[in-house]
Amino acid sequence: MDTSSSIVTGAGLADAVRKSRLPARLDVVQSATGLVLALFMWGHMFFVSSILLGKDAMWTITKMFEGYFIFGRAYPGIVSVVVAVIVLLLVVHAALAVRKFPINYRQLRTYRGHMKLMRHEDTTLWYWQFVTGFALFFLAAPHLFQMLTQPGLIGPYESSDRVWSYHWWPLYLLLLFAVEVHGGVGLYRLAVKWGWFAGSNPDATRRRLKALKWALTVFFLALGLATLAAYIRIGIEHADRVGERYVPASVQPGAVK
Amino acid sequence: MKVVYTDVLVIGGGLAGLRMAIAAKRRGHDAVILSLVPPKRSHSKAAQGGMQASLGNVIKGQGDNEDVHFEDTVRGSDWGADQAVVRMFVNTAPKAVRELAAWGVPWSRVRRGDRTVIINGQKVTITERDEAHGLMAQRDFGGTKKWRTCYVSDGTGHAMLQAVGDQAIGSGIPVHERAEALALIHDGGRCYGAVVRDLIDGELTAYVAKATAIATGGAGRLYRVTTNAVICEGIGHALALESGAAALGNMEAVQFHPTGIFPAGILVTEGCRGDGGLLKDVDGHRFMPDYEPEKKELASRDVVSRRMEEHIRKGKGVGSRFGDHLWLDITLLGEKHIKTNLREVFEICHHFLGIDPTKDLVAVRPAQHYTMGGVRTKPTGESPTLKGLFAAGEAACWDMHGFNRLGGNSVAETVVAGMIVGEFIADFCDDPGNEFNLPTGLVREFVEREQAKLDALVASRGTEDASALKARMQEIMTAKVGIFRTGRDLEEAVAELQQLLARSRNIGLRTPSPGPNPELVTAYRVQKMLKLALTVAYGALTRTESRGAHFREDHPRRDDAQWLKRTLATWRDGASLPELNYEPLDIAKMELPPGWRGYGAKDYVDHPDTPRRQAEVDALKTQYAGDRFALQRALLPYDDLLPARLRGRNERIDEPFGGTGRAA
Amino acid sequence: MSMFRPTATHKVIPLVPADGAQPGNGGRIRVHAMRYNPRDPGNAPRLQTYELEQAEGMTLFIALSEIREKQDPSLQFDFVCRAGICGSCAMVINGRPGLACRTLTKAVGPDITLLPLPGFELIGDLSVNTGKWMRAMSERLEAWVHMKEAELDLTRIEARMEPELAEQIYELDRCIECGCCVAGCGTVRMREAFVGAVGLNKIARFRLDPRDTRDDDDFYELVGDDDGVFGCMSLLGCHDVCPKQLPLATQIAFVRRKMAAVGFR
Repeated sequence: MDTSSSIVTGAGLADAVRKSRLPARLDVVQSATGLVLALFMWGHMFFVSSILLGKDAMWTITKMFEGYFIFGRAYPGIVSVVVAVIVLLLVVHAALAVRKFPINYRQLRTYRGHMKLMRHEDTTLWYWQFVTGFALFFLAAPHLFQMLTQPGLIGPYESSDRVWSYHWWPLYLLLLFAVEVHGGVGLYRLAVKWGWFAGSNPDATRRRLKALKWALTVFFLALGLATLAAYIRIGIEHADRVGERYVPASVQPGAVK
Repeated sequence: MKVVYTDVLVIGGGLAGLRMAIAAKRRGHDAVILSLVPPKRSHSKAAQGGMQASLGNVIKGQGDNEDVHFEDTVRGSDWGADQAVVRMFVNTAPKAVRELAAWGVPWSRVRRGDRTVIINGQKVTITERDEAHGLMAQRDFGGTKKWRTCYVSDGTGHAMLQAVGDQAIGSGIPVHERAEALALIHDGGRCYGAVVRDLIDGELTAYVAKATAIATGGAGRLYRVTTNAVICEGIGHALALESGAAALGNMEAVQFHPTGIFPAGILVTEGCRGDGGLLKDVDGHRFMPDYEPEKKELASRDVVSRRMEEHIRKGKGVGSRFGDHLWLDITLLGEKHIKTNLREVFEICHHFLGIDPTKDLVAVRPAQHYTMGGVRTKPTGESPTLKGLFAAGEAACWDMHGFNRLGGNSVAETVVAGMIVGEFIADFCDDPGNEFNLPTGLVREFVEREQAKLDALVASRGTEDASALKARMQEIMTAKVGIFRTGRDLEEAVAELQQLLARSRNIGLRTPSPGPNPELVTAYRVQKMLKLALTVAYGALTRTESRGAHFREDHPRRDDAQWLKRTLATWRDGASLPELNYEPLDIAKMELPPGWRGYGAKDYVDHPDTPRRQAEVDALKTQYAGDRFALQRALLPYDDLLPARLRGRNERIDEPFGGTGRAA
Repeated sequence: MSMFRPTATHKVIPLVPADGAQPGNGGRIRVHAMRYNPRDPGNAPRLQTYELEQAEGMTLFIALSEIREKQDPSLQFDFVCRAGICGSCAMVINGRPGLACRTLTKAVGPDITLLPLPGFELIGDLSVNTGKWMRAMSERLEAWVHMKEAELDLTRIEARMEPELAEQIYELDRCIECGCCVAGCGTVRMREAFVGAVGLNKIARFRLDPRDTRDDDDFYELVGDDDGVFGCMSLLGCHDVCPKQLPLATQIAFVRRKMAAVGFR
């Protein structure tokens, strides 16, 4: 008789002697991937918003990530590698987080009914975290796929053309809201879930964390909207020269290959 | 007919019931607990201030021992207690509190070094001993010579009930919740169990058991103003009374707690005064020292309650639209102390009075609090007249409280009696002589009788309203069978209660449904409660003296010559009054012959035997001077009354055992 | 003679009124209570409205008792201590779980909607079987002190405990098992097998108690899965509705950290 662990598990006896350690690890991994992704999104937003400081600033940031200032030339493949890591994190995070989703209509209806009755902020925020998380499956996928496959097409003109002339702006608008809501609530929830910064008066800490969460959400939404507006403006201005790549005046033509 | 068989049927899921069931279960007997509510919601939970056990850990408890606890308890009882039972109790209380410590009760602990306490309205610094650090702490309570009340903040009963309830679950003892016993099954001499109604679906089941134990708590809801929970309706008392075979002892002994919050009657603990809180009148004057220079606010509860009512009668109460009240001042204890050690008090004041007791005075007035009387039992907890019926806790009268119980002795009694009686129940079940062959016809007869009563109530076209009858009964009891009693009031009370009892046979229901019908429950309970109210009122009318909490304005002296005896009430089916008999207390066997309590009224009528016994006691004290254990054995041997595993002395810091005992 | 024999000129002053229930001029309130008998097949849940005069200091205990006594003797609800310590009377008051006995009508009125606590077996109207749920939870989590095998010597001085530790244990031991945290928990509402805050708080309490011989591996067996501590989505409804203000948020976080650590050992 085969007594391998898969057979034991198949018979529903996986936890018969000692409970599996896997749930603990998965819980930590879910939180860790969420934390990394949320922090990444903050950084991402700052980098993308460099367009507000001008096309050259955005170009510089882009080239920095392509290794231009280290190697003397740009390797967009570096971006692909980073994107691949993010995709991996995202898939893992989504796979783990989906365990918490309502699995059928009855659960969804129960939760919504509970939420409406309670009128309790954290309970309502979870619902929005769930909705935005669900949306991110679809909204993030095309963006990530493009970044993975066409990492070279990031730049003041390149990105603006994509936003405007290739009609990606509605996706980015939705993505902006989904990410900021999901990430903001997620970071707040991570802090209370693991008891970070609890201090001597955890209730006061939580109130401050909640206020900070809202402030950051508002800040990043404002920053994001301004950034998107900037790309749209450049995209409109650049609509007649779609496909032209941006080269700063300070850089000799032909220097970037 | 549904029948459940078990070794031990425990009626009541509070501390006493749970502890008895655990004792029986650990001796190998199956026990089933019936409870009106989930056990952890029982009224045991409301014991706030603490549990008396003479550990003597705190410096103000140094020198405390069983002897001091014994004397305090007997004086508190106004010599109404059975002194042998008090001895059993005081010797077991330290064991009980230590057992609970091992079971997880987070008793407040002694911290070494200086601390500031309030004594007699003054800040005093006391220094706790190094060797007491980490042991259980004690606070001061009324009527005690030493600080003896072990406590968990002011949630003592709560913490005890959590621990004991958890152990009952851990022992796998089934609790049949929302189940109410309607009648004992018996043949006049032997109890076989009970007829039980499921409060969810209204179905009746017969529970057949070798031993049946009543642990249903008190009967405070006979009164309108009471600190008791709404389930404390004395139904366990009534079960015994209606059997006609078992007797109730001393039902006229009803305690009024000095500090029920006004007007809701919710308790704030004696710990408020034990920790230094003061009673004040309309002028902000601390009046208790005027009446009780020795013990002041910390005289026994009966005395403090009477002094408060007396002071209100002198016009010194604080007027309000609900009537007069007095003030409890705990502001001097400081915010930290109140929010740590009197936390429930803080919450209750906040939620029910809308005040902050760290800054504001608390409106209080005495409210019914405790039923000293109960199912009369032997020191084993078994009824002397109905074999196989046991009782423990507030529902019992074995009789350690006499006519007044000390604060902190009640919650202690629940676990102590639970331990002791639980062992005796196990002994009873072990004895092959106690097996029975029960004719099923008898069980059927009892179930059918109860079903017929319920059917009759549901079908009745009667005109009486059960709630109205109950409200009237509560009104009569509060107005006429209260703190101050007179023959005339009591006669009127008895007469009207008899009328109410007659009217209760003509109750009609507005919603005649047989299932989970709260009106039906009120209807059958009020019929029982009226018999109990009559037992209290009639006992009070007949007892023409004042003793402990029973105070007759027309007979204000304690009269040992006539009344040093216990009231025993039985009820014949169909009667309109209980039959009263009296059981004399034997002074010749008393370790502490009757005298002045040390507080309260100083005059009483002596019993002719008292001086002789006092002389004997004095002689023995001389003979055995220096050996308190030998003296005690000579005065009142009681060791053989205790179950073997609960005998033995109690170790203290000042009375170490030495040898190879567990490291303290 | 007794020092305080009352003088004949004083009339007997009646004692205090019952539980504060006195007609007052607090205006009318309307109590909208859920009526439903799950054992009656032809019966659908509905709200029934009762109007009554608000009295000074009136709590929902007083209001509901008055409704049962004077208007509708069939209305089912549970009260025991009526002082906020036993946990019997939890119900949903205007959308939030809370203890009815210590809720003043003037704080939630004049229109008060009362629903039975969700997440528990409904007995009828506002009465739910929290006792059955709590017993099952206690059995599942073995929520009692697991002592060493040897029988105690009760005659000996008790084991010592630091005063601060005793206070910390009591802080968590104050749970009254009222069920508010369960009813306030979106997770347990969606997934009935989830242990809920009351259970996780008990784990924290017994973990703290040196008299309990269990270690983190033992506790992991009880709550180390997605029906246990890892199922908690940190909605903190439990923390925010707990009538005893138990530190549930930090305690659940604490248990989570300890159980997560077991997973990486």
